[in-house]
Amino acid sequence: MKYLIKITTIIIFTFFTHNLFAFTVGDIPIQDEGRIKPLDTYARNHLLAFHGKRSIAELDLSATDWLLNLVLNPADGKNIKIFNIRSPEVVSSIFLDWDLKHKYSFNEILPGLRNQTPLLKMIDEKPANERSTFEKQLLELSSNVMRFEEISYLKSLKLIPPSIDSPNEEWISPFEFILEGVEPNDYQGKILNALQQYLASRMEKDNIVMESSLSNYEVALKSIPSSLFNIDNLKRERWLNQVNLFYISLAFYILSFIILGISWMSKFTYTRLISFLILLFGFLAHTYGIILRMIIMNRPPVSTLYESVLFVSFIVLLFSIILEFFRKDGLGIFVGTVAGAIFHFVGFGYANDGDTLNMLVAVLNSNFWLATHVTTITMGYGASLVAGFIGHLFLVESVRESTNKKYLKSIFNNMFGVTLVALFFTLFGTILGGIWADQSWGRFWGWDPKENGALLIVLWQLMIIHMRLSGLAKPIDFALGMALNNIIVAIAWFGVNLLQVGLHSYGFDDGVAKNLFIFIGLELLFSFGMYFWSKTSMKNNYSINR
Amino acid sequence: MIRNIYKIISSPKIFVYTVLWLMVLVFFGTLAQKDIGLYASQMKYFSSFYFLFYDFIPLPGGRLTLTLMTINLGTSLFKKNLWKFKKIGIIILHLGGLLLLLGGGVTASFSSEGNMVIDEGSTIDFIDDYHRMELCFVNLSLADSLEYTVFDEELLNEGNNIKYDKIGFEIDIISRIKNTRIQRRITQVDSLYKGFLKEFVLLPKEPEKENTQNRPSIIFRLKGSQNNADGIYGLFLGQKDLDIYEFKNQQFFTEFRKERTYLPFSVELIDFKKVMHPGTNVAKSFSSEVNLIESNIPRRVMIQMNEPLRHQDYTFFQASFIEELSGESTVLAVVKNYGRLFPYISSIIMSVGLLVHLLFNLPRTIKKKK
Repeated sequence: MKYLIKITTIIIFTFFTHNLFAFTVGDIPIQDEGRIKPLDTYARNHLLAFHGKRSIAELDLSATDWLLNLVLNPADGKNIKIFNIRSPEVVSSIFLDWDLKHKYSFNEILPGLRNQTPLLKMIDEKPANERSTFEKQLLELSSNVMRFEEISYLKSLKLIPPSIDSPNEEWISPFEFILEGVEPNDYQGKILNALQQYLASRMEKDNIVMESSLSNYEVALKSIPSSLFNIDNLKRERWLNQVNLFYISLAFYILSFIILGISWMSKFTYTRLISFLILLFGFLAHTYGIILRMIIMNRPPVSTLYESVLFVSFIVLLFSIILEFFRKDGLGIFVGTVAGAIFHFVGFGYANDGDTLNMLVAVLNSNFWLATHVTTITMGYGASLVAGFIGHLFLVESVRESTNKKYLKSIFNNMFGVTLVALFFTLFGTILGGIWADQSWGRFWGWDPKENGALLIVLWQLMIIHMRLSGLAKPIDFALGMALNNIIVAIAWFGVNLLQVGLHSYGFDDGVAKNLFIFIGLELLFSFGMYFWSKTSMKNNYSINR
Repeated sequence: MIRNIYKIISSPKIFVYTVLWLMVLVFFGTLAQKDIGLYASQMKYFSSFYFLFYDFIPLPGGRLTLTLMTINLGTSLFKKNLWKFKKIGIIILHLGGLLLLLGGGVTASFSSEGNMVIDEGSTIDFIDDYHRMELCFVNLSLADSLEYTVFDEELLNEGNNIKYDKIGFEIDIISRIKNTRIQRRITQVDSLYKGFLKEFVLLPKEPEKENTQNRPSIIFRLKGSQNNADGIYGLFLGQKDLDIYEFKNQQFFTEFRKERTYLPFSVELIDFKKVMHPGTNVAKSFSSEVNLIESNIPRRVMIQMNEPLRHQDYTFFQASFIEELSGESTVLAVVKNYGRLFPYISSIIMSVGLLVHLLFNLPRTIKKKK
């Protein structure tokens, strides 16, 4: 126990001390996509868009270093093979040869793109939903190439805050200062000077001046009289980028799963405890990641699809830990590690779309409703999935341990309890959603796809619970029902966005449809397969016992 | 006999079947929105007592299903074995559910909605219906006022004949077009066609999925003028230059517009504001600064996303906007709903029910554990 406290203290200490870190070049604020973010995030997202990765492994370059090198030496930067073009069609359309690495430099791509100007113009004029995959990819490449060039001469780097009396909140790039001959005010001048000093010393590789210019930069930022941004939050975000807490928690979950496996094979009782402890560490990293995101954006935990994945897996883990705390037989660890790992992989898929901390459209821009409705319904998804996972386990165990009635009953009781909790959150989440809709659109219920999705979950759970309570369903039927509930949750969560109709349709993704169908197929196969298998094994046992 | 019927309608099986059927409706009704649009699918699957599957098999619609569910829930509350003290939480919970369903019924039967389009600087005192249309004859020849004669949607079905003795009108509705394509005529036509129809022809085109994006039109024949105003006229929604004609020595024009409901007050748009997240095309907020004018006394109100204006029984929401070279206009959705408090009250009742149930059962659960 003593050791446990010691380790926890050390971890918590290292978690919370990162704000004391010195101001680095990655912390420099920049305005992009409607918010102020650290340069590190900006560089990572752009490198991800161009290169497909957040750093250049071959050259051992971080995103920020790549960006600064490009600014300082555009001629060389334009020769680095940075653009990852995944489509052979696009490569041949810009007069290049496809190879296995399919990476090309700016200077290689540009002449080909120039030749395709009429085609690009034609694609650009088409409505977005009529463009073919090739057309979308070519257009994306062309906009990426333009973006790249704008970065190379500092045009799209909106680094300088506007003056206090400026009518809009738009930041200014150093390029605009030079081109438009705007006279910088006091703090703008200080920032420009520090930036110039930093870039010059970086060119000469003078580390001492680089450091002093960065501290000048921080002083200049602090001299801005209004609260345009929070330097601590910039540092937090850069730290979150570098440490990548969700990778850490994934690693812990996988490790915990492996040790759980060992504990099942060995007789050593402490292995389960070790596995549980590792799961807890993973959960700590996971939770802290979510909390940091909330602090950085100053909003409740869930506001985008990506965040809903993070939060649902948080809820699933929370339930699993409670379950494990009471059962002490590894069942909770099993549910938590498997679900946690799956959700992390789903989440990484969404994170690869670019900035995960994006701004919200007007109707969502309400912290009160995000905190109440969205959080409640997401907790409902999480609890439903936990009940679903236990449903799967019940099906498996009723095949494996079909004679052990007491054991099965204990799993059933857990499942039933979690289902009630899930129904509570989905039902009230849905009603709260209706009330939000009443407040902002004037109707409580509009049969919109997202609303219908949430309603499906509520109805399904109401039906299953009433069937059980009225004796129409036996525990095994209930377990099948809750296992299939996962399909309904997946449809409500991801599926309705595929329809692209209604007021809620945000967060659309092409690849989701395929994955969703695979998931539904596997779930049906597994649940019904296990259900019928367990039914026959129960019958056999019954006849043997008789 | 009665006992048997009661047993059947209050049986939990009915609940399971209605829930199951409602799920089927919700699923297919949602999928159908992709093809036929939200409004049409809502009308077909949810706001109907029955609908025709493949045009000939009648199946129960959302209203019938929900009505059955409400009756089932209502009657099941009279079961004797339910009324026990330890089940009080469950009873309260189900009463809340019943109230929620009843509230849905009230909203479905008595609420009305529409929208209000106001240009900056102008004042409007009526609501446009989303779907229903009206045909309006305006008499321009009166000394000090305009006289409006309005014919409602119900009268405007194809083939209808309307007689209006006060002026001496007789109108035959020749056709109604859901979504209209306007094309210039190439050949000279018969003198039967009047006004706008002399040079143009109104043709049907594929209706849009969302009804509000359609441009409906009407073609009718006017009789009884005793002069050359008799003939066939065509009008479409949003038509700018309306034909003026003489009818029994009085000047008239006709308008085909969305059905209007007049309010006992009016709304003036002072300013519409749209704020974007800096450097992006993503809107951060929309707001309309309006004057609510009642008995000639204005009151300044801000209507914005998630902050509607409630006045008398009406609620005004910031729904959309129109940006044109001539200026900005705001689009406010207006709702009159007598059932709007039901969800609020019923969710409170249901929470209380759950809490009571939990409090009554907690001691038992803990005891069991021990």
